[in-house]
Amino acid sequence: MASLSQLVDHVVVTTFEINRPEVRVGRRSDNDIRIDEISVSGRHAVIECVPNAYLEGTVDYYITDSNSTNGTFVNDLCISARQRLNSNDRVRIGWNEFRFVDEDENAMEKTAYILD
Amino acid sequence: MELQVTGQTDTGAVRSANQDAIDWCVEPSSGQALLVVADGMGGYQGGEVASRIAVDTVMEVLGPALQDPVLREPPGSESRAALVQSALDLASERIEGRKAQVPDLVKMGTTIVLAWVSGQRALVAHIGDSRCYLVQNNTLQCLTRDDTVVQNMLEDGSIREHDVPNVPFRNVLTRALGASDAIATFSEVLLAPGDQLLLCSDGLTDALGDAIWLTLLSQAESVQGAVQSMVAASLAEKAKDNVSVVLLSTN
Repeated sequence: MASLSQLVDHVVVTTFEINRPEVRVGRRSDNDIRIDEISVSGRHAVIECVPNAYLEGTVDYYITDSNSTNGTFVNDLCISARQRLNSNDRVRIGWNEFRFVDEDENAMEKTAYILD
Repeated sequence: MELQVTGQTDTGAVRSANQDAIDWCVEPSSGQALLVVADGMGGYQGGEVASRIAVDTVMEVLGPALQDPVLREPPGSESRAALVQSALDLASERIEGRKAQVPDLVKMGTTIVLAWVSGQRALVAHIGDSRCYLVQNNTLQCLTRDDTVVQNMLEDGSIREHDVPNVPFRNVLTRALGASDAIATFSEVLLAPGDQLLLCSDGLTDALGDAIWLTLLSQAESVQGAVQSMVAASLAEKAKDNVSVVLLSTN
């Protein structure tokens, strides 16, 4: 399971579970993750959970900016296209800081192995 | 066209064992050469055993074909490819055989990339993520497509090149010797005098960006010097994995 934790002064204030195929982030009340703050657009970004087509049992998470006014940033880089998220990536929605955590990712083997 | 080949393998700056295996041979009389790199994996001594079996089997099966004067008139690429695949099938069988004997080796497998040069024609075969590059007219072209999950994701647009170093499963192979799917991918290129073929394990490509390769290769005064400087440069970059390079030069 993955989550997006909002940080204020490096302290987690709220954690949102990424628990559906498409999670919408924005200021309007119909978003799955609602951030009521002036730098956030009504519909700001979308996070998708996509089962990996080539590696059974793995889910990839992707974030796409929904043409927001103040941009979506991953590790301080403004994203211009759909961007894959890795565990512990810093995500910025307008001026709001988050940390993306994918608990399953840490369980993966780091050495080479064969898909069989 | 004169063929010169040399190679070098190094444990790298971090690992304690070298699981890569390399070999090559040149037959000036028939104008043929064979270059092989294998990158083994799978715990304990497994990787070393698998890559060694793969390289030795390829040399054993294909070596006589290089010397055979009957084959001086190079056989068509189809029959050469069939012979290569039969060598790889035998290597696969031998790896399976060792796994059955030694329980500690049950997870072993290996990549393999080989180039069989016959006159101007080079037949390239690979399984896994070891690569073959063609150096031609001061340009570098990768002739092999990695059999990896990450390569599939790059091609379907899921990720871009700069994402690759961060993907946690970037080392997962979709094909390998020692796995059920051990069918090699083949390609053929025509070599002109001055061209080079470079075979390598991913230890080289992970440590050393290919932007500097052409400089290192062109500055070297010999094939040996070129291989040494490529390996030395990857070690200077603190190569995390074993580094192997086998280089063929023509003139």
